[in-house]
Amino acid sequence: MKKALQVNPTQMFNAPLLLFIICAAQIGVGVHGFQSFIYEHAKKDAWISIIISFLAAHIIVFIIFKILQLYDSNDIYGINLDLFGKYFGNFVNLALITYCGLAYFVIIKNYREVINTWVFPDLSPAFITAILLIIVIYAFTGGLRVIIGICFFSFFLSLFIPIILLFPIEYSRINYLLPILDSDFISILKGAYYMTFTIVGFEIIGTLYPFVKEKKKAQKYVHFALFLTLMFYLFIMFITSTFFSGEQLERTIWATLSLLSIIRLPFLERVEIITICFWMIIILPNLCLYAWSAYRGFIRIIDITEKKFILIFSLLIFIAAFPLQTRIQIEKFNNFFGSVAFYLIFVYPLFLYFIALIKKKMFRKKGGKG
Amino acid sequence: MKKLNTFKLPFLLIASVMLLVGCTEPHILERISLATLIGYDLTGEDELTTTAVMRQINPDLESKTLIQSTTSSTSKGGRKKIELATSKEITTGQLRVVLFGEELAKYGLDYRLRTIMMSSEISNAIYLAMVEGDLKSFLESDYKDIPNLGQHIFQLIEHNIEQQNAVSSTVHEISRDDFSRVASYALPILKKEKDDIKISGIALFHKGKIVGTLSAKDAFYIQMVRDNSDNGTMELNLPITTLGDHSLSSSKYLSVALDSIRSKRRITVVDQTLPEFNLTIHLDCRLYEIISNVNIDEAEIIQKLEKEINKKLESEIKRVIQYSQEVNSDIFRFGEYYEAQVRNANMDVEKWSEMYPEMKVNVTVKAKILRDGVFQ
Repeated sequence: MKKALQVNPTQMFNAPLLLFIICAAQIGVGVHGFQSFIYEHAKKDAWISIIISFLAAHIIVFIIFKILQLYDSNDIYGINLDLFGKYFGNFVNLALITYCGLAYFVIIKNYREVINTWVFPDLSPAFITAILLIIVIYAFTGGLRVIIGICFFSFFLSLFIPIILLFPIEYSRINYLLPILDSDFISILKGAYYMTFTIVGFEIIGTLYPFVKEKKKAQKYVHFALFLTLMFYLFIMFITSTFFSGEQLERTIWATLSLLSIIRLPFLERVEIITICFWMIIILPNLCLYAWSAYRGFIRIIDITEKKFILIFSLLIFIAAFPLQTRIQIEKFNNFFGSVAFYLIFVYPLFLYFIALIKKKMFRKKGGKG
Repeated sequence: MKKLNTFKLPFLLIASVMLLVGCTEPHILERISLATLIGYDLTGEDELTTTAVMRQINPDLESKTLIQSTTSSTSKGGRKKIELATSKEITTGQLRVVLFGEELAKYGLDYRLRTIMMSSEISNAIYLAMVEGDLKSFLESDYKDIPNLGQHIFQLIEHNIEQQNAVSSTVHEISRDDFSRVASYALPILKKEKDDIKISGIALFHKGKIVGTLSAKDAFYIQMVRDNSDNGTMELNLPITTLGDHSLSSSKYLSVALDSIRSKRRITVVDQTLPEFNLTIHLDCRLYEIISNVNIDEAEIIQKLEKEINKKLESEIKRVIQYSQEVNSDIFRFGEYYEAQVRNANMDVEKWSEMYPEMKVNVTVKAKILRDGVFQ
């Protein structure tokens, strides 16, 4: 029953690197404007929503590890196949692969939108998409280790962002956070739900697990990575909600970028323009990891080489990017992706764990009888 | 190397070709006019007058300033018309100041503010100000000693805000107060005086329309209530009897100047229904000037001085708050304190507009003279 996934030792990586991978996978385009969605529901207690959403993420990570530990060394796709059989298992896998594709698509779409709004209004969207796809193809063909290298650099190179976010503190008014717990609990939970779009990324562990060298240590680092991103998001949320007044924040589309536009450095007039361009390094690991994750699932269905896969995958994304053009369409698509992600990331693992436990018990009984 | 040739090389080639070909529109410095200041005013019924002060960089390193003015119903339409009259493309990335004419301020600034907020090209850190009288004649008159009008006005506003002689009015702060259902905003007023421009006062707004003005020297009182300050200067006229008969007999007041003022304010709600606030300001300062020949090294005299300073400041701050209540413009953001300290306040514009004029504030100032100069 438990056939382990064969992984070449040269492809494996050390557990501490998971820290950078998970952080890099979580921080992406969502950071540009997640604040207004949460604020719309949770108002002054938006930061509590963030904490709640991360608590949920910790629980999910805990459960994903429980599932993974039932098998020696297998990824989420293998587990699906094992639990649900060939046909239904492949169907579930296909759903997960589609999810990865959607995530990839959403990242490219949102980043492209930001570039078109803030930096180059007259640059062709297809051009930006093509450039991003080519970079990802280039990185992807380097293999998993190259992708992890990108995660590592993305993590360290983006450390300047919390530092420049200290400038707007000058305009902070602590009154905008008080009184604490003014919103009712349901609104806070709703706010937490809208965090989904920004918080996803940690589910990549389901695919990465077989490639970790020290499997026992892995969980610790994933939790620690979640904690780091929690701190990052909380920090941004605190600064944002003391910087903007209520309705102003709800109307701001990319709050983080508007926040940066107040900064005027002697040598740099508009920090946000640099930050947006730099953001490509931050979304690159996201894109690579999702493409890689989709590939890992896809080879279970059809045997295909990495190169062929990424070419077809990129072509599909490129074609799919054409119909979605306006800001409102993208917003709608983001919401749609958010709800898909919510069910696949936060609900599905619970279900899977339940099934896995039952199956394990049944087999034990059978084993006892036989 | 082999691998690169078969697979990656074509991609690298395509990527580099795209980077070379697919560029966005270039903006070459010599071929653009940088709008450094834009003024909006209202003429006639709904016609918007847009005046832009632009700077053009010429190849012979001489930059010149250009002023163009036009009317249309939207600001973008105005820009397009100005474009017809200039030889170089106009960009607004270097915009520093947006001015509003008095007529427009009476009509309402809301739409103009939205437009500025919507543009990604315009930074949130630019300054807004109001001009007393007609805006077009203000900008188009000939200032002999001001070569670059946009930069001049920007620096005039900026250094005065830094020294707390004027209320801070970045686009961000103004729109923040505008959107925060319970606060109003204030803008500095600019005025032409002979060949010069000066900040002549503070305009108080309510729901986007101007409702009153205060004199420029009240700015520091407003600043003290609004925020903690760490670098202020002020001149006070204390009663002549403060120090007995030591003072010069010819003047009516005992004038003192304070600087290096560090103030900390605390606002608490004491009564939710009225509402009533306690405002306490702690103030540390240096006695910079005193028009008297009294020897000020005695603790007793310092104490007397402090007491009179407290009294004087309390009455001045009360006067400013009372005026803002009369015109119903909460520039001190008492509403935000109310919301922050009262649970389930459910504030909205109308409710606070009704409550604000009824509000009572108990002002307490605790001044402390830390030091004077090097000579007693």
